[in-house]
Amino acid sequence: MMTRAAIIVCWVMAIALALFLIAPLLVIAAASFSPTPVFDLPLTGASTRWYGKISRLDGFWPSLLLSLQIALFSTAISLVCGTLAAIAIARGKLPGAGIFATALVSPLMMPGLVLGIALLQGFRAIGFTAPWATLLVAHLVITLPYVARTMIAGLARFDFTLIEAARTLGCTYPGGVLRVMVPALAPSFLIAGLFSFLASFDNYPVSIFLADVRTKTLPIRMLQYIEEAPDPTLAALSTLILAGTVILLVVSDRVVGLHRMAGTSD
Amino acid sequence: MTEAALPAPVAAPAVDRERLAAIGFVLPSFVIIAGVFALPLVLLLGVSVVDANGLTFAHYKRLLGTPYYLGVIWNSLRLGLLTTLIAFLISYPAAFALARARGALRSVLLATLFLPLAASVIVKAFAWTILLRSDGIVNETLIALGIIEDPIRMIFTETALIVGAVNIFLPFMILPIYAIVAQLDPRYAEAAATLGASPVGTFFRVILPLTLPGIIAGVALVFSLSVSAYVVPTLLIGEKYPTLATTIAKAYLLAREPGFGAAAGVVLLAIAIAVVALSARLSREPK
Amino acid sequence: MSESSPHLVVRGVSKRYGPTTVLDHIDLTIRRGELVTLLGPSGCGKTTLLRAIAGLAQPDTGKVELAGRDITNVPPHKRNVGVVFQSYALFPHLTVAGNVAFGLKVRGAAKREIDAAVERALSLVKLGHLGGRRISALSGGQQQRVALARAIAVEPDVLLFDEALSALDRKLREEMQVELRRLLQDVKATAIFVTHDQDEALTMSDRVAVMNKGRIEQLAEPRELYLRPASLFALNFVGLSTRISGTVLAADNGKVDVETKLGRMSALGNFQAGSPVIVAARPEQLRLGEQGEANSAAGRVRSVVFQGSRTLVEVDAGAGESLLAELSGRDGAIPRVHDEIRLSWPVTETFAFPMEAQA
Repeated sequence: MMTRAAIIVCWVMAIALALFLIAPLLVIAAASFSPTPVFDLPLTGASTRWYGKISRLDGFWPSLLLSLQIALFSTAISLVCGTLAAIAIARGKLPGAGIFATALVSPLMMPGLVLGIALLQGFRAIGFTAPWATLLVAHLVITLPYVARTMIAGLARFDFTLIEAARTLGCTYPGGVLRVMVPALAPSFLIAGLFSFLASFDNYPVSIFLADVRTKTLPIRMLQYIEEAPDPTLAALSTLILAGTVILLVVSDRVVGLHRMAGTSD
Repeated sequence: MTEAALPAPVAAPAVDRERLAAIGFVLPSFVIIAGVFALPLVLLLGVSVVDANGLTFAHYKRLLGTPYYLGVIWNSLRLGLLTTLIAFLISYPAAFALARARGALRSVLLATLFLPLAASVIVKAFAWTILLRSDGIVNETLIALGIIEDPIRMIFTETALIVGAVNIFLPFMILPIYAIVAQLDPRYAEAAATLGASPVGTFFRVILPLTLPGIIAGVALVFSLSVSAYVVPTLLIGEKYPTLATTIAKAYLLAREPGFGAAAGVVLLAIAIAVVALSARLSREPK
Repeated sequence: MSESSPHLVVRGVSKRYGPTTVLDHIDLTIRRGELVTLLGPSGCGKTTLLRAIAGLAQPDTGKVELAGRDITNVPPHKRNVGVVFQSYALFPHLTVAGNVAFGLKVRGAAKREIDAAVERALSLVKLGHLGGRRISALSGGQQQRVALARAIAVEPDVLLFDEALSALDRKLREEMQVELRRLLQDVKATAIFVTHDQDEALTMSDRVAVMNKGRIEQLAEPRELYLRPASLFALNFVGLSTRISGTVLAADNGKVDVETKLGRMSALGNFQAGSPVIVAARPEQLRLGEQGEANSAAGRVRSVVFQGSRTLVEVDAGAGESLLAELSGRDGAIPRVHDEIRLSWPVTETFAFPMEAQA
């Protein structure tokens, strides 16, 4: 009986957790169609006019462009660097590989705000103050741990004999890496890229210290809108970002399966 | 080519070459982690103990010797502790249900985990400001259910802060626990039962120790994230609940007191490092 | 090139990893169409030798020639070898046909040629109908066949098998041994197997190289290897035996008289008087009772293991020595545990080996 009660508790918690987690997202989506400037829920009607107003938000387009650029470039660089490092760690030819692997993912556990002020001080000390470049370099530290963590896990399951097999079948070593390792690790690349892109695109605590008046990332701009004048335009913008994320997730689910992202193998 | 043309020393460089390649492979990442992560943090430590007159511990004295700032540190810890505790209490049982779920149900449940994880923190915090307004959906539901008569003030209270923080950091608790629980062989529990353990005994002697690595990972991650959260307290409670994170931001962005901000940063960093070190130590302990 | 000319020649190949000598001046010559097994315990160097032939490990000294070409410094992708790996190493992102076609695609073969070769290779391993399957949808036995088809498809000069059957369960493995041998003989392939399984070695090969500590202890046909083991290690590693330690009393032209704790025995071997030796005989040579010109010893039966057509009898002969006899029903009544019996075996089937550190 005790066991049955425990199972019921588990399911109740799981359902409650699912509703609790999804609630704010549904609320945002609902509020974006609000017919009035206040967030009257439940809705008394529906309007899409707030979506039209997004592009008229002050400084919206430059911020979106900046955030996309920083997220794309930092993810691309981190994918290359992090994958190379993960290969070296997985092959076991590197002295101190375990310590280095820990160091690579450690920024994940460190307060972003502290990293932000540390970078601000550091960049100032060497006279490196161009906002775009400092943001990009700083976001490498944000994205690299995601890539390293995923690729180290992915490579730990990769059978390097596959490359040897490719070599005996006529591939050069680099050819084997390209024709066998890259496709076999495609799911890991996708997950690593996805999470590192989102981590960069959503980052506030680091970016806030490196941005200037003319160079603001989208999260900085959004927090500013919320603090200045929250209206359903923001909900509309948030809903669009959410929709983009949903599309990304659905595509990844089609390609690799969501449960693989949770770290289970079946 | 004769045998002599391939002398023994050929092998030594081959080994060195592999090691050299490995070092070359990690070099870019090493430069990033050392130059853009470790070095700036060391520099920050330096900034926190100097001012115009040279070496000083004044910033730390102010931080650790003023009741106000001790309260700030406690606020951060309290936010971290409450968030972690509540997130754990919800996540642990839910992870078992999630691990048993199959097919479409599992996909839906996992989607509810990943979607919020992928959604912007600012978007979610903003949503909670809408949800918790006095004319918001939570109040109206409670009134409709007859639990309360008049709308209660929820936004800009500690309740709002904790609800928002738990909501935002929950996925980081349940995912590591789920990853362990999903791989848990049900035969362990069956074996324990055949050995005479009661369900409660089986849980405390078998299930809990086996899932401990996931718990440690989740607790460490959620605590270190929530103790240093910035966006959540800023939007959901504001000025009246100052934390180390908001103090750091204020010191740098408004007050222009980098030395003091750096000291607060070092304290926050020390808390995070302590949590990581403790969790690493706990998970290494023999079972 | 004639059938008996050397096809693969390994000459003086050595390899060290740090302080460990993995291969110690290996010489090995394999004829065209021959099936050779490298047999030995783990760490004996057999896999390293295979990898040196495939080009996946670079020897410190020595050279490797394949089909009349010195390939010592040729990278693996230009060696034209086919390797079947222990884990099969099938590419998970490709279908069965994609895997088999891989080598030919890399070589830039025409599509029609590739399709024909894939079909040929898959029908050879009886998987002609599974070309479109994903690798993860195959059983272990099917994966093994795909790995074989992939290696054969490029028509390699030599096929190399690295413990290729060890992941299969026993029954499937025994079936594959017979089938694989027939298949390789049909396509006139030259092949080297690496295994630690003596049954596999004896079943599959024309010749077996028994390896120990980086050296080839004996290279012989399976029958000769079993009947005339060249060393104590080869004797121990292939098949069972009765082994008794003793000291040479007198030597006479390939025959020695040995003093053992079980009495005086005669054996084949060349030793000086006074040498410590081990005299050994295969269990099926031991018979109940006395026979002419034979060694014999008595003892109490310790165990009797029925194995179908034969029964394995272990006898405690005292003084720490034991005898192992394999008796068939024709030898009369099978003794029971605790029976006192006498066993004898012909001098011509008794061998003396130098006493060395036991392998």
